[in-house]
Amino acid sequence: MEALIALFKILVFPGLIFLTFLGLVYEWIDRKAVARFQNRIGPLYTGPRGFLQPLADFIKLMAKEDIVPKWADKLLFSAAPVFAVSIPTFASLYLPMTGTPVLPPFEGDLVLVICLATFYTITAFIAGLASTNRFSTIGAVRAGLQLLGFEIPMFISVASVAIAAGSLSITTIANRQAIPYAILQPLGFAVYLIALQAELERVPFDIPEAESEIVAGWLTEFTGKKLAFLRLSADLRIVFGAGLATAIFLGGGSGPVLPPIIWFIIKSAVIVLVSAMIRALFARLRIDQMVRGAWKYLLPLSLLQLLMTKILLVVV
Amino acid sequence: MLPTYKLPIGPQHPAIKEAFHFTFELDGEVIVDVKPRLGNVHRGIEKGMEFRSWNQGTFLVERICGICNTPHTTCYALTVEEIYGVEAPPRAQYIRTIINELNRIHSHMLWIGILGMELGFWSYFMYVWRDRERVMDIIEMITGNRVNTATIIIGGVAYDIPPHMEGPIRRAMDYLEERMKFYKQVLLNEPTIRARTENVGVLSKSKARELCAVGPVARASDLKTDVRFDEPYCSYGEVSFNLVTYPYCDVYARALVRADETLESIEIVRQCLDKMPSGPIKLRLPRAPPPGEAVNRVEAPRGELLHYCKSDGKEKPYRFKARTPTLANIPALCEMLKGYYIADIPAIVASIDPCYCCTERMTFVDVNTGKRWVWTYNELRNYSLKWYKANGGGRK
Repeated sequence: MEALIALFKILVFPGLIFLTFLGLVYEWIDRKAVARFQNRIGPLYTGPRGFLQPLADFIKLMAKEDIVPKWADKLLFSAAPVFAVSIPTFASLYLPMTGTPVLPPFEGDLVLVICLATFYTITAFIAGLASTNRFSTIGAVRAGLQLLGFEIPMFISVASVAIAAGSLSITTIANRQAIPYAILQPLGFAVYLIALQAELERVPFDIPEAESEIVAGWLTEFTGKKLAFLRLSADLRIVFGAGLATAIFLGGGSGPVLPPIIWFIIKSAVIVLVSAMIRALFARLRIDQMVRGAWKYLLPLSLLQLLMTKILLVVV
Repeated sequence: MLPTYKLPIGPQHPAIKEAFHFTFELDGEVIVDVKPRLGNVHRGIEKGMEFRSWNQGTFLVERICGICNTPHTTCYALTVEEIYGVEAPPRAQYIRTIINELNRIHSHMLWIGILGMELGFWSYFMYVWRDRERVMDIIEMITGNRVNTATIIIGGVAYDIPPHMEGPIRRAMDYLEERMKFYKQVLLNEPTIRARTENVGVLSKSKARELCAVGPVARASDLKTDVRFDEPYCSYGEVSFNLVTYPYCDVYARALVRADETLESIEIVRQCLDKMPSGPIKLRLPRAPPPGEAVNRVEAPRGELLHYCKSDGKEKPYRFKARTPTLANIPALCEMLKGYYIADIPAIVASIDPCYCCTERMTFVDVNTGKRWVWTYNELRNYSLKWYKANGGGRK
């Protein structure tokens, strides 16, 4: 019975199926919000207010022809979508969505989860290289370069939270927030949100997929089921990225009256809305500008946050 | 050092909406060399002109370019009128100016939106294009069509602007002026737009002159060239407006030139409405002009446009030739691209406001008899299917 419940948790709620559902909902929120910011209507026909459009897109892509380029590295090319979906799902299982995470938390799961986030970019890099298309190769190289820019500031902003909470476990950090760290560490929170935009490959950091420059970047050669899963993995990354921000900066599922899961979803949805707003507000940067900007502004800001946190801890 | 590699862009690519091919020689992300290849949307219009009467030609030149169709008809009409040795009535000249400037407003707004799109700034694109609809509505109100208006004909214009349309046009101009000022502010103040366009695609003043750049591209490189100024046609000599130049020579300057020109165009439309004389709007002319030839220039939104016509006194032109601004700007474009990043390609290519379907109509490619028969047959078949659908089938 114990095993069955654990399996149910991992596969259905709040595991794989629930996360997929949440990812599609967030995609809908994002699309609808960006459309409204741009004075458009957005998805409208499938389901109430176009609610089912992301699911319809997913099903449609699943039905499409699956083409593997002749000169592609077939194993890596086929493995990339699997990794791309499983990595953010696995990482999300450590988020305390219902108050406690699905997988047993341990001291250091924050480090594991952040490692997985890096692996995701490496998956994108491998996927791009394996497809041996020139646009894909450029996209892959850009994905790798971008990682050098956003990863370190992001980790430092997470580290200053971990230092303040005195723990490396996401659940512990989430539970120790009487006042959310977003208020106590606004700089770190801002750096995290900007870096999140880069991790999700969204404007102004959608450089590896820049449509008007390199077609679809590292995604160019993917079709059918593989593309469907890569699109789904982008949604799952939103769930994971927004979920991690909720857990470590916004106090996880804590809140009055409503159960933790509802609070968690509401808080993540707010992060998704902020991300959509950034997406609607800016033009795409160039890769060199992005990396330079990250090292020039994001890194010093995150280090400043780290320093301030340490000083505050010593003084108080 | 890594060897350079070739990146093909086009004929189909998300950044270039028309069929055009570039081969980029790249070193990492940096462009070393670029080879353009024309000819993907060749339609044989120049030869086609020789098979149509002078009046039918007006509607064919209009289709050289979808966006800057009015300058084409204006230029053609001016050229043919020169062969006839007549001038259109003053009221027609003013209406031509208004339609031309409305066309420039919509073309420049379209371009400013495209710039946003190429930079990944979709919100800017959506907003500019939403407001562009307003000018399209005005064009539709005057002529009955949004794009190919068929307004300008040999000897005058086809449609008058009656007094009751003046109010809506002025209101639309006020609205557009306010919006364009806002979009210019966005261009001036948005850090990501400036980061992507400043010092990108630099074309120095001397290079621009040497490579014969035309239109906004030349004006952004500080060259004072504008046919409306240098050789006023229609009623441009009677209205006052400024020649916009910027000394920065980059994509950013090209954007500012177009934003400012849109504001100038709005001013020109207002002045034309103020000064519009009354009188006839077209002349009655004989079917064929006397033998002779003429060349004329007009300022299209993309730059200087040139038409040449030769008449041998018959009902059809003996020869027709057009030189479009995009063709004139392609050497300059290749110069602009060298040394920049792949990421700059869309912005730089877009910065000349390319219109390849204008550029490509040089020779008529004949098809052999068999091919032509098949094509005709298909056309016939499609026609019959359509006819049966429309008429419910069966014989009548």
